[in-house]
Amino acid sequence: MPVLRSIRERFARERPFEGLRVGVCLHVTAETGNLARTLIAGGAQVALCAANPLDTQDDVAAALAASDGAVVHAIHGEDMATYYRHIEAVLDTRPQLTMDDGADLVSTLHASRAGALGDVLGGTEETTSGVVRLRALEAAGQLGFPIVAVNDARTKRLFDNRYGTGQSALDGILRATNMLLAGRVVVVFGYGWCGQGIALRAKGAGAQVVVCEVDPVRALEAKLEGYEVLPGVAAAAKADVLITATGNRDVVGGEHYAVMRDGAILCNAGHFDVECDLAALRALSRERRQVRPHVEQHVLADGRRVNLLAEGRVVNLAAAEGNPAAVMDMSFANQALAAEHLAKSAGTLPPRVHGVPAEIDDEVARLTLAALGVEIDALTDAQKSYLTTWEQGT
Amino acid sequence: MTALSSKTDFKVADLSLADFGRKEIRLAEHEMPGLMSIREEFAASQPLKGARIMGSLHMTIQTAVLIETLTALGAEVRWVSCNIFSTQDHAAAAVAVGPNGTPEDPQGVPVFAWKGETLEEYWWCTDQALAWPGEDGPNMILDDGGDATLLVHKGTEFEAAGAVPDPTPEDSEEYGVILGLLKRTLGEDPQRWTKVGQSIKGVTEETTTGVHRLYEMTEAGTLLFPAINVNDSVTKSKFDNLYGCRHSLVDGINRATDVMIGGKVAVICGFGDVGKGCAESLRGQGARVIVTEIDPICALQAAMQGYQVATLEDVIGEGDIFITTTGNKDIITADQMARMKHQAIVGNIGHFDNEIDIAGLTKYAGIEKINIKPQVDEWKFPDGHTIIMLSEGRLLNLGNATGHPSFVMSNSFTNQTIAQIELFTKNDEYERKVYVLPKHLDEKVARLHLDALGVKLTTLSEEQAAYIGVPVNGPYKPDHYRY
Repeated sequence: MPVLRSIRERFARERPFEGLRVGVCLHVTAETGNLARTLIAGGAQVALCAANPLDTQDDVAAALAASDGAVVHAIHGEDMATYYRHIEAVLDTRPQLTMDDGADLVSTLHASRAGALGDVLGGTEETTSGVVRLRALEAAGQLGFPIVAVNDARTKRLFDNRYGTGQSALDGILRATNMLLAGRVVVVFGYGWCGQGIALRAKGAGAQVVVCEVDPVRALEAKLEGYEVLPGVAAAAKADVLITATGNRDVVGGEHYAVMRDGAILCNAGHFDVECDLAALRALSRERRQVRPHVEQHVLADGRRVNLLAEGRVVNLAAAEGNPAAVMDMSFANQALAAEHLAKSAGTLPPRVHGVPAEIDDEVARLTLAALGVEIDALTDAQKSYLTTWEQGT
Repeated sequence: MTALSSKTDFKVADLSLADFGRKEIRLAEHEMPGLMSIREEFAASQPLKGARIMGSLHMTIQTAVLIETLTALGAEVRWVSCNIFSTQDHAAAAVAVGPNGTPEDPQGVPVFAWKGETLEEYWWCTDQALAWPGEDGPNMILDDGGDATLLVHKGTEFEAAGAVPDPTPEDSEEYGVILGLLKRTLGEDPQRWTKVGQSIKGVTEETTTGVHRLYEMTEAGTLLFPAINVNDSVTKSKFDNLYGCRHSLVDGINRATDVMIGGKVAVICGFGDVGKGCAESLRGQGARVIVTEIDPICALQAAMQGYQVATLEDVIGEGDIFITTTGNKDIITADQMARMKHQAIVGNIGHFDNEIDIAGLTKYAGIEKINIKPQVDEWKFPDGHTIIMLSEGRLLNLGNATGHPSFVMSNSFTNQTIAQIELFTKNDEYERKVYVLPKHLDEKVARLHLDALGVKLTTLSEEQAAYIGVPVNGPYKPDHYRY
C-alpha cells in the first residue's frame, strides 16, 4: 500500500492528530491495520471495532492491540450483542474523530449518546450504504457533526467498489464453493459501481451474466454493455448464481425462491445482510445443513436446494479477504487525508455530508499513478486556459 | 512479368482505377511481410518458371500482392474472383495494368473480375481464365471454394459421358448456369476439359468449403490431380478464419447498415474458427451473442466462453443480427426470416450463399424487395415487417467491405505460394490425394510474420530440445496438436 505508506511518513513528521482520539468502525483486515497505523503515526489514539460481525481477521486485531497501542474490540464471528458491545466500547473512549463503514458507529452515537455529539469534530464514511443513512440523518435535520463521504471520492468508488468488489466478491464465491464459473448463468442484482465490477469479472470468467436493475439509466448501461437485462424473477429462474449488490433490502425474496433452480447459489455483496430476505428463506426451508464452511444449504419443501453463502452477509469479506490491498490503498488514503482535513478544519465545517475535496481526490490519484510507475501528460497553460474561456469557437 | 497476349485479354470494370489500386497495393505490400519475404527468397531461383497458374480467388488488393508474388517467382497467371461481389475494381484494374503499364497500354496479367457480376458473367470469367492462349490450359490451379476445380472435373465427367445433363428442378440457378456453359464447350471442343485436367499438376485450395469438396472427390475416386489443403495449415485457418473474420465481420455490418451493435442480440450460427471470430467481434462491440451449433464439442466451447447456446428456433424472435458461418446449407429458412424482428439484419460469412434460403425468400408469397444500396436489400413481408439482407446472402465481409486485412492474408497467401511451389516443383512426390503442408513450412510462415509485430521469440536450449524430443529449430509440435 505505497500511497498510504507515503502518507504515514508525512503524518509521522507533521503529527496532524496529536492528542486526538479517533474511533474507527471498519472491517478489521490487514489493510485496515495499515490505516490504523497511519493514524497512530499521526499522533492519534485509535479505538477500533468491526463493521461486520463476520469479517474480522483475528491476527490483525491482535497485532494492532499488541504492538501499535490501539484499543481493539473485534472478534471474528462475534454475535450481534457482542458486535454492539464493541461499538459501545469504542464510543466509551469519547472519540473526537470517527471513521465509519456502514454508519453503525455514528448512528449509535446519534441514537444513544446525544450528549457526546459536541465532542466530535467530524467523521468519515466509507461505504454507499453508510452514506445513504447519513444523508437521511442530515435530511431529518439531526446530523450532529460534519461527515466526509469518502465513498463519493472518485478515487474510492471508481476503483474500490468496481474493481475491488468485482474481484473479491467472485473470490468469496470461489473460496466458499469451488464452483466453475465458465458457462454458468450469474445474475447480478444492481448495476451500480459494485454490480458493474461483479458483472465485468464474472463475464471475464466465462459466465453468462444477467443484470437486474430498477434504475432505467443503469439498466440501459448494462444492456449496451451486452448483458441480458431481465426482471428479477425471470432472472432467478435461470440463475446458477444470484448475487445482490443494491444497497437495498428484500431484493431477493419469496417470489424468487419459488422459481430458483435446484442447487442455485445465493449471496450478497452489499454492505448489510438485508438484501436477501433470509427470514422468508428460513420459513420456506424444511431442512438446513452446513455443507461447507460459509455454505448453508436450505432444502425447500419440494426438495430444491438453495445454497446461501456467508449467511447473506457481505460475501467478499466473510468468505474471502475483502478487497485487495491495491484498491484499499486508495480508499484508505482518502480516509486518512479526509480525517486530516476534518482535524485541520475543526469547527469550521457545517454539520452536513460533504464530498471529499477535489485536491485530496486528485492527490490520491497522482500518488497511486506514481506508485504504479505510470507517467501521464500535463495540460499546457494554453490548454488550461482554453478550458476556462468562451471566446474561442469555430 | 508476362505481358498480356492482347490488349483485350482481360475484363475489368474500369482501367482508370489502376492508379488508386497500385497505391493501395504498395501500402499492402508493407503489411504482407510473408509474401515479400518469399519474393526475396526465391527471386533468383524462379521456382514457378513454367507454371501456368489459373487463380480463382477474391480479386482484392491482397490478392493482387499474391498474384504479383507468383509472377515474381516466374509464373504466368490468369485470374478471376471466386465470388460475384468480392472484387475490388481498383485492384483488378491495377493487376491488369501491371506495375509498368498504363490504362492505355496495360502490361499486367489477364484478369477477368468486377464487383457485381451476374452468375453467367462469373462463369464466363472462369472459363476465360481457364483458356490458355497457345496451350491446352493452365498447369496449376489456385482455388478458393473449388469453383475452378469443379468446372474442370464436371467438364471431364460430361465429356467422358458424351453429354451434359439438363438441370433438374432441385438444382440451383448457379448449377444451371454451369451446365449451360459445359453444354456450349462440349459443342465447341468435346475434349477441352479432359485435356485441361490432364495438364494440371495440382490445385492448392484456400477455404474450408473447397477443401470439403476435394475430400469428397478423393473418397469418390474422382480427383484428377493432387491437392494441397491450404486451409488447414495452422497459420491459415487459426488466423485468417478466426482473426480475419473477427476484423471483417463488423466492418461489413458497419459499412452496410451503420447499426449500433452495442446492446443488440446477435445470433451466430456455427462456432468453428469463423464462428469463434465472429462471436468475439460482436461481443467486443457490446452485443449479447447467442451461438447455435450441431457439434457438441464446439457447443461446449461456446458455453464455456460464456455464450448462451440455443437452437435457432428458440431465439428467432429475439435476435437483432443473424450471421451464418457454418459451411452448410439451409441454416436460415424463409419461414424463419418471416418470424424475425422488424429490421433484423441477416448475413452470411460462409463461402457459399446456400446458408440462407434466398431462393425461398424470393418466392415467399407477397414479399417485396427494396434495394437500399449496393449489397443491402430490405425484404418486406406481407404483415409489413422487414429484414435487412446483406450481399444477397453471399459472404458479407467481402460483399459489404473489403474482406480480411492484409496482414492476416499474408499468412494465408504465403501458405498458398509455398503450396504452389511444392506441387509444381515436386509434382512426382504427390498422388491424387489431398495433402496439408508439412509443419516446418507452417512454422516458417509464422516466423515470417513475427518481426513486423515486434515479437521476440525465445530459443530452446539443446538440452530443452532434447528433453521434449524436437529439433531446436522445429517443428515443435506433433501433427495431432491442435493449438
